[in-house]
Amino acid sequence: MAGIEELSPAAGPVETRPPEGEIDEDEDEELDETIMERLWGLTEMFPDTLRSAAEVTASGSVTVAKKLYSFSRTALWVGTTSFMILVLPVVFETERLQLEQQQLQQQRQILLGPNAGMSGGMPGLMPPAPVKM
Amino acid sequence: FATFMGSVLAASSPPPPGSGVVQGAPGLVSVPPGFSMPPVPPPSVPGQPAVEIGSPLPNPGTYEECHRKCKEVFPIQMEGVRLVVNKGLSNHFQVSHTVTLSTLAESGYRFGATYVGTQQTGPAESFPVMVGDMDNTGSLNAQVIHQLTSAVRSKIAIQTQQHKFVNWQCDMEYRGDDFTSAVTLGNPDVLLGSGIIVAHYLQSISPALALGGELVYHRRPGEEGAVTSLMGRYTGNNYVATLTLGGAGAHATYYHRANDQLQLGVEFEGSMRTQETAVSFGYQLDLPKANLLFKGSVDSNWVVGAVLEKKLLPLPLSLALGAFLNQKKNKFQCGFNVTVG
Repeated sequence: MAGIEELSPAAGPVETRPPEGEIDEDEDEELDETIMERLWGLTEMFPDTLRSAAEVTASGSVTVAKKLYSFSRTALWVGTTSFMILVLPVVFETERLQLEQQQLQQQRQILLGPNAGMSGGMPGLMPPAPVKM
Repeated sequence: FATFMGSVLAASSPPPPGSGVVQGAPGLVSVPPGFSMPPVPPPSVPGQPAVEIGSPLPNPGTYEECHRKCKEVFPIQMEGVRLVVNKGLSNHFQVSHTVTLSTLAESGYRFGATYVGTQQTGPAESFPVMVGDMDNTGSLNAQVIHQLTSAVRSKIAIQTQQHKFVNWQCDMEYRGDDFTSAVTLGNPDVLLGSGIIVAHYLQSISPALALGGELVYHRRPGEEGAVTSLMGRYTGNNYVATLTLGGAGAHATYYHRANDQLQLGVEFEGSMRTQETAVSFGYQLDLPKANLLFKGSVDSNWVVGAVLEKKLLPLPLSLALGAFLNQKKNKFQCGFNVTVG
């Protein structure tokens, strides 16, 4: 009859929970593993419509960002190659033409300039004929 | 030499399909014949009714030339290396050697000769014109163009592939005061009873508007068929708009001359057979100061292409560089031509 005596109210307080120290350790271990789950659990306080709307917006914006990135890549390539084929040769040639004309002008100035300066002191001399390029 | 080339161009009608007969023509020659500005109508004497009925309408040119002005603005696709040497042996005779090196097609050598006769009908036209060229494999292309009377011009063209005759056609063209009519007989075979007959008619309705029609009748043992199409061409101050509607589809072109350096062309083509449509936009930039001719085009099939032609003076040398890129299929083709003489 020893078991019945232990169960009587006179036996003292019944141990139903582990001591305080053990409780803290267990809860700390649980805390580290489940922090994401605890944060996720916090979102459950929002209404369902808001949660689904936020989910749709988030996934939609990720898709849009990906598409925008791949579209801009393709557009950049198509734009660069088309510009290279359609416009670049003409730009090269017109710039070359401009440089040539500038060079010719400079040469003419160099040839006629100092000559004009030299013959300025002698009034009887004829001006030099322009040099044919 | 320039007048010689001008007369060859003036006399030659469009080459038979699939051949490059008139090869010697450089790209920097002036506007082809057949494109005439409408004449100024004579001033009406006061007291008389309007002179519209009596004022002369210009000859509208040939049926094939209507779309040609716009087509010439577009660049041609070049592939591989080509060297062309043109030599004029006399005022009437010219010879050309062409060496083609290519990766996709076969490389070869082609010899061409052009003879222009002594009967002169105009400042730049002489007849008869005989053009022929032969390949290193023995394929021959030959054309004889002759002006039979003052209004009738006839052409015979033959094309062979090695020893087999692929194309033989004869055509006759009558130029009236304000209309042109032509009949072409293609590949007639009396033994088999097959052939193709094409009849063209083009009439000037007003100094700017020309309307015409085409009838194609083809016959093979066991089947025969006919296709008709109508064409209208409107010439403005500095533009030409042409529309062709027929059983085979629709084809519309618009040519615009922006200034003396820039020419634009827009082409729309829709085919009934393949149920496809395509739009292309092309431009041609002429810089005679830089000895440059640049043609570019953009297509609705995502094809971008350009050809750059440059005269390397003082030598009679001309260099053409071409590049074509299909953006969708990511295929690229480039080539260059060197023309001597």
